[in-house]
Amino acid sequence: MGNVFEGRGTIRRNEQVGPGLFLMEVGEASMARAITPGQFVHVGLPGMEGHILRRPFSVYSACGDSGTIDILYQAVGFGTRHMAGLGPGAAVSLLGPLGRAWHPPEDTRCALLVGGGVGAAPLFLLAAELVRCGSAVDVVLGAQTADALVCRGRYEALLAGAPAKSSLRCATDDGSFGHAGFCTPLVEERLAARSYDYAAVCGPEPMMRIVIGQMEGLPLACEASLERRMACGVGACLSCVVATDEGMRRACVDGPVFDARKVVFA
Amino acid sequence: MSLAMGVSLGGLAMKNPVTTASGTFASGREYADFIDLSALGALTTKGVSLHAWAGNATPRIAETPSGMLNSIGLQNPGVQAFIDSDLAWLSTQGVPVIVNVSGHSIEEYLAVIALLEPQDAVHAFELNISCPNVDAGGMAFGCSTANVEAVVAKARAATKKPLIVKLTPNVTDIAEIARSAEGAGADALSLINTVLGMAIDAHTRKPRLARVVGGLSGPAIKPIALRLVYEAYRAVAIPLIGMGGIMTGEDAVEFLLAGASAVAVGTANFVNPRATVEVIEGIERYCADNGVTDVKELIGGLLC
Ligand SMILES: Cc1cc2nc3c(=O)[nH]c(=O)nc-3n(C[C@H](O)[C@H](O)[C@H](O)COP(=O)(O)OP(=O)(O)OC[C@H]3O[C@@H](n4cnc5c(N)ncnc54)[C@H](O)[C@@H]3O)c2cc1C
Ligand SMILES: Cc1cc2nc3c(=O)[nH]c(=O)nc-3n(C[C@H](O)[C@H](O)[C@H](O)COP(=O)(O)O)c2cc1C
Ligand code: FES
Repeated sequence: MGNVFEGRGTIRRNEQVGPGLFLMEVGEASMARAITPGQFVHVGLPGMEGHILRRPFSVYSACGDSGTIDILYQAVGFGTRHMAGLGPGAAVSLLGPLGRAWHPPEDTRCALLVGGGVGAAPLFLLAAELVRCGSAVDVVLGAQTADALVCRGRYEALLAGAPAKSSLRCATDDGSFGHAGFCTPLVEERLAARSYDYAAVCGPEPMMRIVIGQMEGLPLACEASLERRMACGVGACLSCVVATDEGMRRACVDGPVFDARKVVFA
Repeated sequence: MSLAMGVSLGGLAMKNPVTTASGTFASGREYADFIDLSALGALTTKGVSLHAWAGNATPRIAETPSGMLNSIGLQNPGVQAFIDSDLAWLSTQGVPVIVNVSGHSIEEYLAVIALLEPQDAVHAFELNISCPNVDAGGMAFGCSTANVEAVVAKARAATKKPLIVKLTPNVTDIAEIARSAEGAGADALSLINTVLGMAIDAHTRKPRLARVVGGLSGPAIKPIALRLVYEAYRAVAIPLIGMGGIMTGEDAVEFLLAGASAVAVGTANFVNPRATVEVIEGIERYCADNGVTDVKELIGGLLC
């Protein structure tokens, strides 16, 4: 595998940023430097009682200078609700850097990134990387409400500084911001307006399936980041498999980022 | 004070009593970033079958109080792929290798053993008799004395290497099963495999595992495992590998006291990838603190 390690970090900040949405900043300098866009950390939290397994989270952003990584998470169950109650100074264990990162083609000039819900988070470092390499980056984000579009500010700031013509478009289910409804019509409109050489998708699986369908027949590389329940997080237990054209693959090491066209969606 | 940590497991010499629980450690590559594999007493591989098995649908795991359920379905690439890739690599790691063997029929178990028998890198076999026996309508081999005798006797005849038989806890009387395996020629027994269980999501009214039922592991099963090791120890003379919820050195010592000669660390690896070596260190610390100079003194040392 090579250079996966357990980092012992400290929570620097942990606050609510939207409905059921929280942002945790963890200080762990080696991990912050080692993470590449799309990778995740397998998090061990203090005080989890009888909940013995770690929880996997994508890295929203990582800063080598401050030695911190950000995790954007949604409170959905015991672990994430408990996590939301942890304060600065609490110790967390991070296994990482884990998983296959995003792999845009070397010469990507124009990329389309589509994020649904907290799926916006694992795309942010990728967007930053593409911007740095001079690619145009169009981002489409979907969420239930305007309040839940918590990544919008960071994307706006990033894309405002992009050298190539880039854009951010948003959709909300309730129409409180941007397009009213799913983000898929925005994707359709983008695909008609511009020719992309790379697309990256992360969000609920039904949404990813539709978006990947929209790319069918287009001459662009397309990747998707998938979630599976994970025990080990390092490739040993085979709990996290994803069906692909090439057989069962482990989301924790062969993914979470997969060639979208090879994934066999249920 | 020097401490002797070595144990003998039916012909397999282990420099300390700790191995990995099959299926929780793959072939060790995934953990080589975290620990030095040669520090282990032995490494037990995931289950190997004759042909590739695709395993079950997802979700394959569910967390449950102090444990987890799994229904991986023994996914593996088949014995030949195992020999070519994992075993070749393992042979360079400086650790005795116990290969866990799966099969749906006696012929399948024998075919796997036949291919592995000539391999010097294989130090012992662990026969997983919790697999469903297709010839017997899918009931696990390990659930009837007749089936246990049949599969163990044939496996015994097929190998000169130490033969460990891994028992399922899902039986009424572990003592009679243990005696059948011993009588049919097993050199050692390992126990326990996972305990059958299930988990339900009340809100969706659906099972949490795609396969509905699965195997429970982790601290939740430790009391069950200790009881079964204790009963098996009183039933047979061959050595035992104890497992089920071992997270610390002290947990391991409890298994030794119940009668195990060695222990395996499974689910704990998912929580702490250094669990195996920390269990070894914990046993050493326990011995030092308690004036134990040879870890073998602990085996069956329960006072009652
Ligand atoms: C690679 C990867 C990256 C992820 N990144 C993020 C992220 O950036 N932000 C975020 O909010 N969530 C993310 N998730 C999902 C997150 O791991 C789960 O929401 C979280 O584990 C739920 O834990 P819980 O204790 O609150 O829920 P519970 O339902 O109590 O958890 C029970 C068990 O199910 C597992 N589980 C539950 N939901 C999921 C899920 N959706 N995916 C995987 N396992 C699950 C838990 O890990 C735990 O083992 C990611 C998942 C994966 C696999
Ligand atoms: C994910 C997973 C996969 C397993 N795969 C196997 C296997 O292939 N063969 C086998 O004999 N036991 C298998 N087991 C059972 C373990 O080896 C062990 O007997 C059991 O988990 C109890 O130990 P633990 O509580 O320390 O995990 C598996 C257990 C888990 C959790
Ligand atoms: S979580 Fe264990 S193999 Fe992926």
